[in-house]
Amino acid sequence: MKKISRLGHEARLGWTLVAPALGVIALIAIFPLGWTFWESLHLHELRMPWLGKPFVGLANYIEIAKDPRFWAALGHTAFFTVVSISLELLIGLFLALAMNRVFRGRGFVRAAVLVPWAIPTVVAALLWRFIFESQGGIANALLVDAGILGQPMVWFIQASTAWVPVILADVWKTTPFVALLLLAGLQNIDLTLYEAAAVDGANAWWQLRHITLPLLKPAILVTLIFRTLDGFRVFDLIYVLTGGGPGTSTEPVALYTFNALLQNLRFGYGSALSVVIFAITFGLAMFYVRILGVRLGGEES
Amino acid sequence: MRLDRLSLVRSTAHAFLCAAWLLTGCGRASNPNETVLTFSGSALGAEGTLVAKQLQRFMQLNPGIRVELQRTPDDASQRHQLYVQWLNARVGNPSILQLDVVWTPEFAAAGWVLPLDKYGPPRAEFFPATVTANTWAGKLYALPWFADVGLLYRRTDLVPNEPKTLEEMVADAQAAMSRRGGPRYGIVWQGARYEGLITGFVEYLGAFGGRIIDDKGEVVVNRPEAVRALEFMRDELYKTKVAPLDVLTWHEEEARFAFQNGNAVFMRNWPYPVAAMSDTAQSKVAGKFAVSPMPASGTAPSGHSTAALGGAQLAINAYTDHPDAAYKLIAYLTAPEQMLERAQAVGQYPTRPALYNDARLRTAIAIPLDNARRAIESATPRPVTPIYTELSEILQIELHRALVRQAEPGDALNSAAARINALIERTGMRKLMTGAAKDSAP
Repeated sequence: MKKISRLGHEARLGWTLVAPALGVIALIAIFPLGWTFWESLHLHELRMPWLGKPFVGLANYIEIAKDPRFWAALGHTAFFTVVSISLELLIGLFLALAMNRVFRGRGFVRAAVLVPWAIPTVVAALLWRFIFESQGGIANALLVDAGILGQPMVWFIQASTAWVPVILADVWKTTPFVALLLLAGLQNIDLTLYEAAAVDGANAWWQLRHITLPLLKPAILVTLIFRTLDGFRVFDLIYVLTGGGPGTSTEPVALYTFNALLQNLRFGYGSALSVVIFAITFGLAMFYVRILGVRLGGEES
Repeated sequence: MRLDRLSLVRSTAHAFLCAAWLLTGCGRASNPNETVLTFSGSALGAEGTLVAKQLQRFMQLNPGIRVELQRTPDDASQRHQLYVQWLNARVGNPSILQLDVVWTPEFAAAGWVLPLDKYGPPRAEFFPATVTANTWAGKLYALPWFADVGLLYRRTDLVPNEPKTLEEMVADAQAAMSRRGGPRYGIVWQGARYEGLITGFVEYLGAFGGRIIDDKGEVVVNRPEAVRALEFMRDELYKTKVAPLDVLTWHEEEARFAFQNGNAVFMRNWPYPVAAMSDTAQSKVAGKFAVSPMPASGTAPSGHSTAALGGAQLAINAYTDHPDAAYKLIAYLTAPEQMLERAQAVGQYPTRPALYNDARLRTAIAIPLDNARRAIESATPRPVTPIYTELSEILQIELHRALVRQAEPGDALNSAAARINALIERTGMRKLMTGAAKDSAP
């Protein structure tokens, strides 16, 4: 009896102690989310007060489902996420393997590699915009000098070429971050495994495939979570580089939402878009957490 | 200990209250008999000095009124967003709003600005297009403060005479480009996907006799005249090749750099570059350029020379406590003397045709007054509708798609018309627009 009441007392104390934290979470996460959802069930156009603010149920969501621009934006986002993350993982792994070797000046190299990551995205995007400017941009100058292009090209007026600077900029900026996460994973691998493999006559490729990659899986999954969610929310990079153009052919969902919510001040519709993005990223996060949870658990046992 | 904490809470709360109090401007001791107005608008550099000077004079003339300057962002869309937030919260400050030419119907229909008719504003003294742009449902909601107008810049050393038609302009451009050492580009304009693209399009559209929305409120942007206008713009890029593809990413400044460095025969732009381009220290074309109104097409019988109209208007915040005093200030700032002074200080064009007979204006705006006046007289407001911003976004996307060859001009304009019609239905504008068009037809 006494024990239980003490436990109850401790539980109460526990709840009391976490209450402020829970309150903060409710205030900054749950309340705005609930409000956004409530808003998304209304017709609410800040610019058109004569429409009032009637409850419209799921009408905003139906409009989204019927809106080709939304589906196109979703496609662009997925394309951007898949292509840029694949490149980042590949190059990042290569960098991490290189940085994991013992060589002189390793600390300096590791710090230097992080420089692109430290530059604010908007600044980096502007930089890449200058590089790919049609007049006097260095990309055109190099390609024309090398004889690859006959004359300077206007990169931002075709969807296919407008993606090039966008993806390059993201890969350039984020690969260091990926490399660092993977490097941390590499350092957790027990070196004796390699020694044993070497004694058994395994070559470097075999070691990479059968020791490094399997043991690096948790680090890769963590990287994937971070990068997928980031990729899905991509906004500033594209806002500065292409503005979503030409037409709307590089517009991601975040930019489309920004446009509906803050340019056109369609609070109802924009909120519905925000809820949809939230649902998608939440789903992705849950998916990864489950995979990751299973893997981590599997390794512990 | 407990007491300490309490007093800490108290003093913090006190600090917050004081801060809030100061922010709302209640902190200053004020004379109860004094009417306080707040004026917002462009207040940077020379313009800021000018506005401060004029407000000071106004206060001397009207001892009972004090005017405070409230700074707002210089970027138009940021200012717009801020205004809309304030007005949704029914904030009475700033009492006088500086509106972009395309915002007036939106603010009027929302009930955020007051009609000025009861003050007997001197409508007839302003350019008709500037009055039309500020009229919604038959009532005038703002007075035009200064005008911006699309102009055709031309290199006089290469093309001595003003082209009479668009076709002549293209031919002149081709001839000048093919000369030895001639400029790389025939004509440069603003073709990036933004509001500037619409202003350029409106000019070609008028040149071919087309419109976006007609007087009856029908969307006519997919009619044959409009398709021909868009085809003409596209031909400049891909067929006659007088315009470089680069313009599809260009705003005003990129076009100015190209022209100012002597790389273009013609340029479509606003009046603002005249000053910089006349300066031999930075310009290669000083003394070698002239401006004229954009020409009409020679092949379209109903086409007419058209300039897009820009500029700023002053309106009264519907939530202000002092609308009468606010009108007084607006009337003062838009009076001939202040307008002339503004032209002299910052080169912005007056909205009163009478001033174009004034010799003092000639030195102020550096281009022949007759050309300036002709351009403003040919000015056409962009569609005068409360849903302009969204309408413009639709059009920007479809025009850009056609110009980068993602879509054919006819298809792009059909799609634009369909989406604009859907927008009109969604916002319940159909009735409002037909009514307003009838009332405000000049």
